[in-house]
Amino acid sequence: MFDLPPPAIFLQLSLNGALGGAMYGVAAVGLSLIFGTMRLIFLAQGAMIILAACFVRALFQSFGIDPFLSLVIVVPVGLAAGWLIYQGLFRKAAAEEDRNISLLIAVGLMFLAENLMTVVWGGNTAGVVTSYTASGIHILGIRTSFTRTMGFLIALAGTGLVMLFLRKTLVGKAVRAASEDMTAASLMGISPHRVNAIAFAIGIALAGAAGVAVATTFPFNPFAGFIFSLKALVALALGGIGSVAGALAGGIILGLIEAYVQFFVGGSWTNAVAYGVFLAVLMFKPEGLFGRPYKKA
Amino acid sequence: MANRLLEVTDLEVAYGDVRALWGVSIHVDAGTVVAIVGANGAGKTTMLRAISGLVPVQGGTVTLGGAPLAGLAPEAIARLGIAHVPEGRGLFRQMTVLENLELGAFQPKARRNMRQALEKAYALFPRLKERAGQKAGSLSGGEQQMLAIARATMSDPKLLILDEPSIGLSPLVVQQMFSLIETLHKQGVTILLVEQNIHQALKIADYGFVLKTGEIAMQGTGAELIADPEIQKAYMGVLEL
Repeated sequence: MFDLPPPAIFLQLSLNGALGGAMYGVAAVGLSLIFGTMRLIFLAQGAMIILAACFVRALFQSFGIDPFLSLVIVVPVGLAAGWLIYQGLFRKAAAEEDRNISLLIAVGLMFLAENLMTVVWGGNTAGVVTSYTASGIHILGIRTSFTRTMGFLIALAGTGLVMLFLRKTLVGKAVRAASEDMTAASLMGISPHRVNAIAFAIGIALAGAAGVAVATTFPFNPFAGFIFSLKALVALALGGIGSVAGALAGGIILGLIEAYVQFFVGGSWTNAVAYGVFLAVLMFKPEGLFGRPYKKA
Repeated sequence: MANRLLEVTDLEVAYGDVRALWGVSIHVDAGTVVAIVGANGAGKTTMLRAISGLVPVQGGTVTLGGAPLAGLAPEAIARLGIAHVPEGRGLFRQMTVLENLELGAFQPKARRNMRQALEKAYALFPRLKERAGQKAGSLSGGEQQMLAIARATMSDPKLLILDEPSIGLSPLVVQQMFSLIETLHKQGVTILLVEQNIHQALKIADYGFVLKTGEIAMQGTGAELIADPEIQKAYMGVLEL
């Protein structure tokens, strides 16, 4: 007879899965925003996260700036960088009907970022090790890592702020309007370039926040970002393309799936199952697990 | 001469090799309702889309209050004072009625008068106030059309463009729609209206143009066009005796 593991294991797995999945989620929120206005799958999002992580690590190693404190640098820099990336790289391509050009630019940006990181920081795998890296805290009687919990909180706060912006400010509402119908939005006097740039700015700022979470939780190398992009894509599909809260939820669900598969089936199966779920969702429920049907702009 | 607000001269538009407009000239005086009527495929919608910058123009000029519009992006033209209610209404269906109205006043100038504009819109469309928190997509067809028009008035536009406002509505709602347009007219709004509901449109119009396969076939005051036997025969199903 198969023995069920004790309930504490389920709790531990759920917690680990949710904490890890929130990383995918915050990456997916960025993808969701950029996809929303530009209809572009920004494949470089993972590379941007790792770039931010490298930046955080460098700030810590060279200037002793605490990685969590560096949020106040990384997020504004991300906002500015996102704006510039749009204006410099995507503005012209965004005017084209054909999104393949934008997609290729994103891929080019990803490879460029990966290789520049290798030049500047080397290709080795390393994380940020602080005095509190190994410390744990207790939640519901379960011991968990302090940095992972912080990462989770950063993901929640980042997503929450984005949702507040989208729901409560007129500019945020304009971004949502443009995601739904860019032509109608332009008839309201909303500039497509402006909303695209805003989506990019927020997307890259979120990548910055995710970079802090990544840098403090596990060792990484310049090429770790692509997997992140893929996982974020899975999270996006799970949560429903076009829904910010759904993207975060999708990431957490993916984290849970991975944690359970890893424990009960085996570590080598986690990615296979994750991408299998991805395809299954796209085939049978393309609007996402709790999404509304996706409307083309 | 009356105060010319919109002047379209020799407008030419083509989709690839297919020419949709062959040198069309129309004009709209401030404070009037102008109707453009014609059969399906005559180029009515294309002309409106060319005026608001949604389709590129091959030739001719468009000026609003003397300022040239050709070549400007739709958002720039909107900011100059044209509010276009497109075919299909262009509502943000996933957003609430209130959010749709707020976005109608997105332009900086309109944003400052948001509250007054909202009160004015609610006074004209009390139904929308009741439904403020509902998603636009959940409204009935008539309510959606009201919302689209109300949203367009939020920016206090110099020119309100309505593309087939009566399409898909029940006869009763169509009556409401036209009386609403008359109310807006009385409030001093300048309106350029495209309609297939030719008789109704010409009845409320100060001036009208008949568009036929990309060219202006006829023009005159609303009353003149209604009385014209050619138009009665061609568009209103009046039998020749």
